[in-house]
Amino acid sequence: MIPDEGNEELRIGVYVCHCGSNIAGVIDPTVVAEYATTLPGVVRAINTPYACADSGQNLIKEDIEKYDLNRVVVSACSVRMHEPTFRAAVSEAGLNPFLMEMANIREQCTWAHGHEPEAALEKAKDLTAAAIAKAAFLTPLDMITVPVTKRAMVIGGGVSGISAALDLGDQGIETILVEKEPTIGGVMAQLNKTFPTMDCSI
Amino acid sequence: MVDAARHPKVDVRTYTEVERVEGFVGNFQVQLREKSRRVLADRCNGCGECAQVCPIEVPNCFEMYLAPRKAIYVPMSQSVPLIYTVDETACIHCYKCVEACGKLDAIDFDLQDRVTWEDVGAIITATGFSHFDPSVIPEYGYGRFPNIITAMEMERLNNSAGPTAGDLIRPSDGKHPKSLAIINCVGSRDTRFNPWCSNFCCMYAIKNALLVQQHYPDTEITIYYMDIRTPSKGYEEFYARARELGIRFTQGRPSLITEDPETHNLFVHSEDRDLGQVTEREYDMVMLNQAAVAQPDVDTVSSLLNITQSPGGWFMEYHPKLRPMDSPTDGVFLAGACQGQKDIPSSVAQGSAAAARAGRVLHSDEWEIEPVVAVVWEDRCIGAQGKKCGICSRACPYGAIEYEPGKPAQVITAKCHGCGGCVAECPHNAITQMHFTDAQILAQIRALLARNPEEKILAFRCHWCSYGGADMAGTSHFEYSPNERGLRVMCSARMDSDFIYEAFRLGAGAVLFSGCHSQDCHYITGQPVGERRAERLLGQFEKAGMTPGRFRIEWISAAEGDRYAEVINEMQAVLDSIPREQLLEEIERLRPEMEKRARRMREAPQVDEALEFADRLAEAMLVVEPS
Ligand SMILES: Cc1cc2nc3c(=O)[nH]c(=O)nc-3n(C[C@H](O)[C@H](O)[C@H](O)COP(=O)(O)OP(=O)(O)OC[C@H]3O[C@@H](n4cnc5c(N)ncnc54)[C@H](O)[C@@H]3O)c2cc1C
Ligand code: SF4
Ligand code: SF4
Ligand code: SF4
Repeated sequence: MIPDEGNEELRIGVYVCHCGSNIAGVIDPTVVAEYATTLPGVVRAINTPYACADSGQNLIKEDIEKYDLNRVVVSACSVRMHEPTFRAAVSEAGLNPFLMEMANIREQCTWAHGHEPEAALEKAKDLTAAAIAKAAFLTPLDMITVPVTKRAMVIGGGVSGISAALDLGDQGIETILVEKEPTIGGVMAQLNKTFPTMDCSI
Repeated sequence: MVDAARHPKVDVRTYTEVERVEGFVGNFQVQLREKSRRVLADRCNGCGECAQVCPIEVPNCFEMYLAPRKAIYVPMSQSVPLIYTVDETACIHCYKCVEACGKLDAIDFDLQDRVTWEDVGAIITATGFSHFDPSVIPEYGYGRFPNIITAMEMERLNNSAGPTAGDLIRPSDGKHPKSLAIINCVGSRDTRFNPWCSNFCCMYAIKNALLVQQHYPDTEITIYYMDIRTPSKGYEEFYARARELGIRFTQGRPSLITEDPETHNLFVHSEDRDLGQVTEREYDMVMLNQAAVAQPDVDTVSSLLNITQSPGGWFMEYHPKLRPMDSPTDGVFLAGACQGQKDIPSSVAQGSAAAARAGRVLHSDEWEIEPVVAVVWEDRCIGAQGKKCGICSRACPYGAIEYEPGKPAQVITAKCHGCGGCVAECPHNAITQMHFTDAQILAQIRALLARNPEEKILAFRCHWCSYGGADMAGTSHFEYSPNERGLRVMCSARMDSDFIYEAFRLGAGAVLFSGCHSQDCHYITGQPVGERRAERLLGQFEKAGMTPGRFRIEWISAAEGDRYAEVINEMQAVLDSIPREQLLEEIERLRPEMEKRARRMREAPQVDEALEFADRLAEAMLVVEPS
């Protein structure tokens, strides 16, 4: 089942977040956790008030050791929000960060179905089960490191582009400031005195 | 401005456009075109002798067309750099300027555009904003009545460096206006044009009122407003001062401006909330505070840098609260009004903040990127058998796959951005994408459709746009059918036909195929690869007699939460319109065809195991199904 590690037994830990009342105000996370307990490969499933808080992260980290977890599923918010957080957490506990999978039961569940709590609960269960299904087949991966060219480009020479370029320059970074007009300055250069200080704009 | 030109580390390239951007965080290659000024930068000393003798005059756009400039010009006397430019669209090639330049010999009509490639590790986009054209509002008469000016025209007219040397005069007769009406929210907060508040117009209305009053104390000035918005530090006090100094504030949005054709005076018809009545007042001059709008070329910049747009064309940040300076593309940052209407203090703050964000990358020797790259199962690739193929290589937007018959296809990992398009295109299941393997995704599909599949809307969404759109729907609490079940891949190009067949084979009620709009695609041409496949599927399903609407293709950006919710609700309506028995019958009828079409999916490594696991999972899910 887990190709890179031989046929090691699957040991998934599932963490269902309340996010205060953001999730728990609509559905009961304990029900989702209990449901997850009955699914194959899951050796531990529990609800947590704030998965991303220190307490939540510590719970996951301690469980990885205590239950010898080799996969973690976090049913909480969007991957765009906290995937980096939970990857870092599992990796601190010695698990490869790519063995963590999230189910989005906040943005894409309780926040979108606030008036249909029962249907939202069923959806949360399905999303958690799907994350478990994916987690079962996750493989450990290493980040790819790439070199960095220590030079920057700023596109647009208005007041914001000029400040960005000057700050980068002051940090010692060679910066190209690209402006399509014959002069830099943008709209600000066209203004009379500027609020709130009423000083000259150029 | 001059600080930038003088800074030893800052290379200012004016009259220059970005033509292409390649590469990735830490390793961008940017093609720049420095347009020919027909003037040599290192010889021109900015004396302006050339412009003196140039016989051609055209309106100067820097002066909002209120003053002329020559065909060889600088936009303003404080231009940085102070180098003259020939406007080829106006120049008649009389070469008087060349003569006037004389020994400096700075003008060269043979000077060509210069194209260069620059290597950079990070890019900050600070392309700013543009101004709404009030002539499209018929009731205001801008463009027809000479004494109505825009705020930008006021900035030039009441400016000692401007075309009248700071003399505020009426365009119709050159006289000083004795009364001035300033109208806020012209094209802003107006659902006919732009729904947003333009952020800085209230403040510059007050600023201009005070400046005019300072210059001409006897001018009567009225500001028409809906609300005065002054939430920053010191702004409310600025407003209070204007009230004390006798600027009149009338709450009401003018409904009509008319003109006396003799005097060219203007009549502003407006409600006055304080009086509770409709008023008609006469003014010598009217200034319109036109909305801040996105740059007209915003689509070009978006697609060069893969930056999504919020409604209205503002560049979209990675996360509105947590990462407001980051664009969705790693290594590309946002600063200033291009991200949303903002005043100078905020633009400067964001510029510095973007520089700090970019500094995180630029001060590192190495940067980590996600290993969601493609990998070839060499024994499965028919290239190894000397056969003609290379479909994967043609699908790749980055040229990351090398193919020659006799050898299995080779992915150049450093070039692969991980869209997964090659994986879905390969007819032999010979490539996989790390972290988004067929086995993983097929297992997810089974889990999502384990219970009452015919009621479900299975939504495939790309990470960058539609998944973000679904997040946005939630964040904005746009409610949609809870029968939706979402599944995320990186790009619509990864949405394998097998996934769709398998979903319908399992009895899904409806399936959504959704990704970025093509100009927003995070992988240059990933979306078109997905779109072609989706259209092909749609054709097949139509032919097979599937009820229209059960398979739907939609391109939804990360900003379009309302659209995401609307699409899901429409799909739910399609499902609701089909009687249950009929739907179940249709699913059964189409199952053999789906089965046949999906038969090759099991060839991919690990898929059998994944399906076996998913079946056990589905069984367990059904056991605890509430009655
Ligand atoms: C009438 C008026 C009065 C105002 N008065 C005040 C005031 O008193 N105080 C205040 O705080 N704010 C004021 N503002 C707001 C102020 O103008 C903005 O906050 C500021 O200009 C934003 O700066 P920016 O650098 O983001 O954009 P911009 O000033 O728009 O600069 C963008 C620059 O990028 C360049 N550019 C665009 N596209 C490209 C491209 N593709 N390639 C290369 N270059 C490109 C443009 O040519 C331009 O130089 C006023 C605005 C208006 C309209
Ligand atoms: S992990 Fe996400 S869902 Fe949970 S508390 Fe934190 S923000 Fe809320
Ligand atoms: S499409 Fe598949 S079979 Fe064809 S060359 Fe690429 S990897 Fe090999
Ligand atoms: S098509 Fe996409 S996944 Fe495949 S090699 Fe190219 S960038 Fe990588």
